[in-house]
Amino acid sequence: MSHQLRVDWPACKGRGLCHELLPEIVDLDEWGYPIVTGPITDDLRPDAASAVRACPRLALRIVD
Amino acid sequence: MNSPVPFPDDLHVHPGPALLSGIAQGPSLPAHRTQYGVVPNVDTRTLTELVTAVGLRGRGGAAFPFAIKLGAVLERAGRTRRPVVVVNASEGEPASSKDTALALTRPHLVLDGAVAAAQALRANKVHVVLPGERPFAAAGLRRALAERDDPVEIVEHTAEPRFVAGQAKAVVELIEGRTNLPVTTWQPEAESGVGGRPTLLSNAETWAHVGLLVHVGATAYRRFGTSGEPGTALLSVTTPDAVPHVHEVEYGARMRDVLPPSVVGAPVLLGGFHGSWATWETVASLRVSVPGMRSLGVALGAGVVHAPGPDACPLAVTVRITDYLASQSARRCGPCLNGLPALALSLHRVLDGSGTRSRVEELASLVVRRGACAHPDGTVRLVRSLFAALPGEILAHAAGGCLAADRSRRLAS
Ligand code: SF4
Ligand code: SF4
Repeated sequence: MSHQLRVDWPACKGRGLCHELLPEIVDLDEWGYPIVTGPITDDLRPDAASAVRACPRLALRIVD
Repeated sequence: MNSPVPFPDDLHVHPGPALLSGIAQGPSLPAHRTQYGVVPNVDTRTLTELVTAVGLRGRGGAAFPFAIKLGAVLERAGRTRRPVVVVNASEGEPASSKDTALALTRPHLVLDGAVAAAQALRANKVHVVLPGERPFAAAGLRRALAERDDPVEIVEHTAEPRFVAGQAKAVVELIEGRTNLPVTTWQPEAESGVGGRPTLLSNAETWAHVGLLVHVGATAYRRFGTSGEPGTALLSVTTPDAVPHVHEVEYGARMRDVLPPSVVGAPVLLGGFHGSWATWETVASLRVSVPGMRSLGVALGAGVVHAPGPDACPLAVTVRITDYLASQSARRCGPCLNGLPALALSLHRVLDGSGTRSRVEELASLVVRRGACAHPDGTVRLVRSLFAALPGEILAHAAGGCLAADRSRRLAS
């Protein structure tokens, strides 16, 4: 079962800390909001978990 | 910003074969009871059988099978708490008038459907969400509510005057006393909606079909439509210089039969502001059908048929609608609040010949599926359909012209 990173869009205020912590699967759009580019592979699990914890707006979630 | 198709303050409702039969008798409760009798008691098994037998689909736009939604509510209700029933009559789409038509002519069929389901589900409450921008429709439903004496508590709410206020998650927010805007949810409302309860939320037309089904049964319901797609659908038809017309048509009917001669030959917007453009040739061959229209790349959606006529430029119409949709973003989700105005601007540039389709597509792919609700997705569907269905209109603008001018000249001669 592959996991996905999901963004709570009304909560997210951009600026892209998640992109810094997880550049492998998070790009930024031209306004600074995250673009999730792929699923969370096993080797990215720890980094994804820290991005979820680090988001200042608590706007990230890992979903099945 | 005002909608390019104004919210109606008047409309013409044509009598129809099923939902709209007997409307000449007026919308009162006594007239309704004379036609249909009292609300029959159905259990959840009967209700499930009825909606399954006719393949009832939600009429709010997504055409989701009602039986699946009902099944999800039943499964969750069995394990947790009493469910909630919601009648969504907010009709935030300006070009739609079908729920308004029901509020004015058939409010008790809508309410009977919801009350019958609420009794079957042993629901805790029925919530009725009235439109914020259609005071005469809201008044029709309020009058009907005041006439009734149901064994279940009915609570009314009024939606904010905003395009996305009728979106399911926004409606749940409204009922819970928060701002009437979409939010991110991690579960469908059928599993966890109002107060965390399993919530059976449907559009007013869907409830009217449920009401009709419990009153007349599946066999009578199936007298209309086709064997694969029984029953009827409401269409809201807007054309230049006329009040909106609402028709009840059988599935399988010809789409062109609801359109007046004045709009023949010109492109039509099907499915509303979140819908898709179709050429006249497509419209002329179209039958009213959810799967049939899907197979042709258009959607019946909530039954909105906007025919701006031969004098209107579909590109200019799309620009005005996109401007309006951008102004209706709840301005909470970054990609939507930044992306929709940028998308609208890129379309203005295509209209005046200074911009390209590639910028439009770049922005479309940046906003799609990146919001708490489907507002960006619907806006993108509209914009992409213009380029896909009517490339000639775009080419004409790139060359400094406009096909609408040619078309109206040709049709006039
Ligand atoms: S860290 Fe959180 S708030 Fe910042 S861009 Fe990422 S999701 Fe949005
Ligand atoms: S996607 Fe747009 S319209 Fe929908 S909730 Fe977010 S900001 Fe509002």
